[in-house]
Amino acid sequence: MPAFAALRQFPSSDPTSETIVAVTPRKTRLRSDSDAAIGSPLRKSPRLCKEGTPHSSPTASIRKCLKTSLNLSGSPQKKQLSEDFVERQNWNPRVDETQRRAANEALHVSTAQMNVVCRENEQNRILDFCKKCIKEEKAGSLYVCGCPGTGKTLSMEKVKVMLADWENEECIQYPDVLPINCTSLANMNDIFSKIIEKNHSGKKRSRSTSSLQQLQNLYSQQTPGMKMILVIADELDYLITRDRAVLHDLFMLTTLPFSKCILLGVANAIDLADRLQDESVLLVLEYLFLICRTTLETLIVACFHPKVVSSLQSKPMVITFCAYSKDQIINILQERLRAVPYTVFQPQALELCARKVAAASGDMRKALAVCRSAIEILIGDSMLSSLDGPEDQHKPAENVSMSNQVRIDHVAAALSKVYKSPVVDTIISLPQHQQIILCSAVKLFRGGKKKDTTLGELNKYYVDVCKSTSIPPVGILELSSMCRVLDDQGILKLGQSRDDKLRRVTLKVDGADIVFALQGVRFFRNCLQ
Amino acid sequence: MGVENPAEVAKFIIRSRIADPLFVYSYFSQLPDSNYSKLKYIISSSVTEACNNSVLLLGPRGCGKTAVLELVLEDLLKEHPDMISVVKLNGLLHSDNNCALKEIARQVCMEHQLQFSKMASFDENSKFLLSILRECGLAHKTIVFVLEEFDLFTEGKQRLLYSLLDAMQSVSSQAVVVGVSCRLDADQLLEKRVRSRFSHRKLLFLSSPGEDFQRLAEHILLLPMDSRLPNDFRASFNEKLLNILAGEEFKGVVDQLCYSDSTVSHLLRFLFCAVCHMDLSSGSLSIQNFKSALPSIQRQPKQEALKDCSVLQLYLLVCMKRLEVKEVELCNFNSIMKEYKSIPDSFQTCDNFARNVCLRAFEHLLQRGLVSFQDNRGQGQSTEFRPVKLLISWHELQQGLQSFPSCPVLLHKLMAREG
Repeated sequence: MPAFAALRQFPSSDPTSETIVAVTPRKTRLRSDSDAAIGSPLRKSPRLCKEGTPHSSPTASIRKCLKTSLNLSGSPQKKQLSEDFVERQNWNPRVDETQRRAANEALHVSTAQMNVVCRENEQNRILDFCKKCIKEEKAGSLYVCGCPGTGKTLSMEKVKVMLADWENEECIQYPDVLPINCTSLANMNDIFSKIIEKNHSGKKRSRSTSSLQQLQNLYSQQTPGMKMILVIADELDYLITRDRAVLHDLFMLTTLPFSKCILLGVANAIDLADRLQDESVLLVLEYLFLICRTTLETLIVACFHPKVVSSLQSKPMVITFCAYSKDQIINILQERLRAVPYTVFQPQALELCARKVAAASGDMRKALAVCRSAIEILIGDSMLSSLDGPEDQHKPAENVSMSNQVRIDHVAAALSKVYKSPVVDTIISLPQHQQIILCSAVKLFRGGKKKDTTLGELNKYYVDVCKSTSIPPVGILELSSMCRVLDDQGILKLGQSRDDKLRRVTLKVDGADIVFALQGVRFFRNCLQ
Repeated sequence: MGVENPAEVAKFIIRSRIADPLFVYSYFSQLPDSNYSKLKYIISSSVTEACNNSVLLLGPRGCGKTAVLELVLEDLLKEHPDMISVVKLNGLLHSDNNCALKEIARQVCMEHQLQFSKMASFDENSKFLLSILRECGLAHKTIVFVLEEFDLFTEGKQRLLYSLLDAMQSVSSQAVVVGVSCRLDADQLLEKRVRSRFSHRKLLFLSSPGEDFQRLAEHILLLPMDSRLPNDFRASFNEKLLNILAGEEFKGVVDQLCYSDSTVSHLLRFLFCAVCHMDLSSGSLSIQNFKSALPSIQRQPKQEALKDCSVLQLYLLVCMKRLEVKEVELCNFNSIMKEYKSIPDSFQTCDNFARNVCLRAFEHLLQRGLVSFQDNRGQGQSTEFRPVKLLISWHELQQGLQSFPSCPVLLHKLMAREG
């Protein structure tokens, strides 16, 4: 594989090191070549735009997937899939390296997409909300939630672009757009100072009032000619504190009478908006209870309390981005692969990848990573086979094209690399005494009652196991240092104590995994029965 | 000066090779499907294809993760000069977000000869990081971030990991993040957002089994063509060495070595020791060198302490052991003396020393660390009354007695009775 990289010739690059920080002239990038290819109008597939179905996890195992995908010979969907693929050219990555690079680039997470498929519904909702707020010049808040890898940030980027287009068409003054990633804030209150800077950069920042108070003052009075500001706050969870004050204040900004701030918040937690609302209402109720002293009075007063009323009215709109389903993942992958004019994947392989990822998490990034990994495995296999002999080149052309596509076994290998934990392999390759230690720990904890023990107890069991095979046991000092090595690796957990023998030991790995890993050695098999 | 002894030259060459990790791990670079080639492929494909990547190197301590990474980076710097820049962070030093950003800024400034200001704030440092990633992306230069002790970066809110991996999601940057950790479940410690952005590539560094070690030993120990060595000496040295390495005795030594620790660094220490034992007059390594290196690597401190004991002290230790077996509640000097006095009654011997002599021997045992007080209370009491415990196990005591040169037969009998 290192030889592979050495074969290509990279474009002659001028010495750019000295011009790094100075204004760098825009070099022709590798990506600009492929940009031209994507610029051509893409064919729209008739199978697009499935409604965002709530994520249901099919529990099919891999064998079942293989069976069902191989049995789909008569179904129309498969026919459509295979028709689609047969029309294109053949892929031969061994011969042509640009093909491989093009495929990799099409599947890379950071490659910009012209069409964002399977999220049209959500994007339209967000766009309508923004349009309404801008037309009416009113403030509003919107909360976007969903698991990682479901396309939230990507959709926000698309909405920004569509909004700019719409504003150009309708010739409306467009608002300032402020994208903030809340992880980059050193201090949580900085978000308010950023809003002020963007919107009112001309105004002087007074030191006596905080940015939050300034904003509240600003939005409580009518100021003609103030521009709307669209705040896109990514990773909103980083602003959560125990009393949720910052988050609450941020959303409350949009409810002030003369507020000009449209807030789009993006986060992972589904019930953040509800929690906020409940919190604020609870706070007010607590305060009123102290004053009114009976529950009935409190409730009556609360109904007319402006803060409660505004809290109930100001609940932000929530749009949930569900995790991708299997069909959505297949759609997205195919859309991406359209940029490459070759058939890279066999249809069953794509389906296997989509099924497994949809069942696990519905995370698109993982699906892309698995596909790229499968391509690498294919290339690795073909390199090894080409090392074996040149007979492959005499194979009939049809076979070559079929064998050059990514098959189910490649995708299965890539999936196992992503989802398998390295514990079993590591235990198999541990030195013998450490394996004996793990074996004695499994025996100790087998009863099920005790979950942790001391090093002294473990030593006794360890010596017994060693005696049964006449391997000389090591002393307590060596045992303690071996346990520390296992602790470093995350297999055991060793506590602290003044006396070495009294340190607590727990197993962090499942006992069944250890038994499975050690079953290859007859001694351990007998010992662990 | 006169002609140097070729054996000395050979010893010097081999020792300098063992101490150079780049040479040692270059053996792994020759294997086709090793971690070296996989890592090189990942980083070089990001350099040539201008895409982002992230990978995690996992394995126990001393198995060569950092060494292989250094080797890969060095080779890539030779192949693609000026296209790679490296930023190294360590979880023990830089796990705090502010600290880490400052360190990244400092290293980048040093590499590109820019002015570094210690007073730059967190905001400025993060803006600097983003702009440097963008500039390097435009200039086709890949930045490799090496994060050692990766599991320590996952404590707290993981802001640094998030900002690095998030910056890699955009088209404008060209970076590789390599995490090195000894915890197997390092990627389970990541938060879900960060784990989603991480590319799930893991390279496991598992220790090499026996025959692999033989080839590694050949790679290190066989003498190369060198002007200071006469050819016939070199040929005879290599031939003898190959015979030894292929023999059964050597395999037995290696097996015993790998019982407790089979990482590469452990084996390197063993080889270094063996080479140091080389006999200069004979001019070549022999199997005896390897065998004598083994005990100096696998030291038994308690055995060494036992070897220097006197016979009376051995008696006292055996008496303590008997008391332990009888599960006597309180074990202090007085009870030991009682046990000791009871021996001549059951076995007719004349080894009977006075109390103060035994007390002196007992205090020596305390100093040597074979026996210690149970706890630190009762410092005011005299040595005779404080409870004591034995710091040496049954098995070790038995082994020590067997290897003791002039151990009286009675002691063996006493041990065996309770055995």
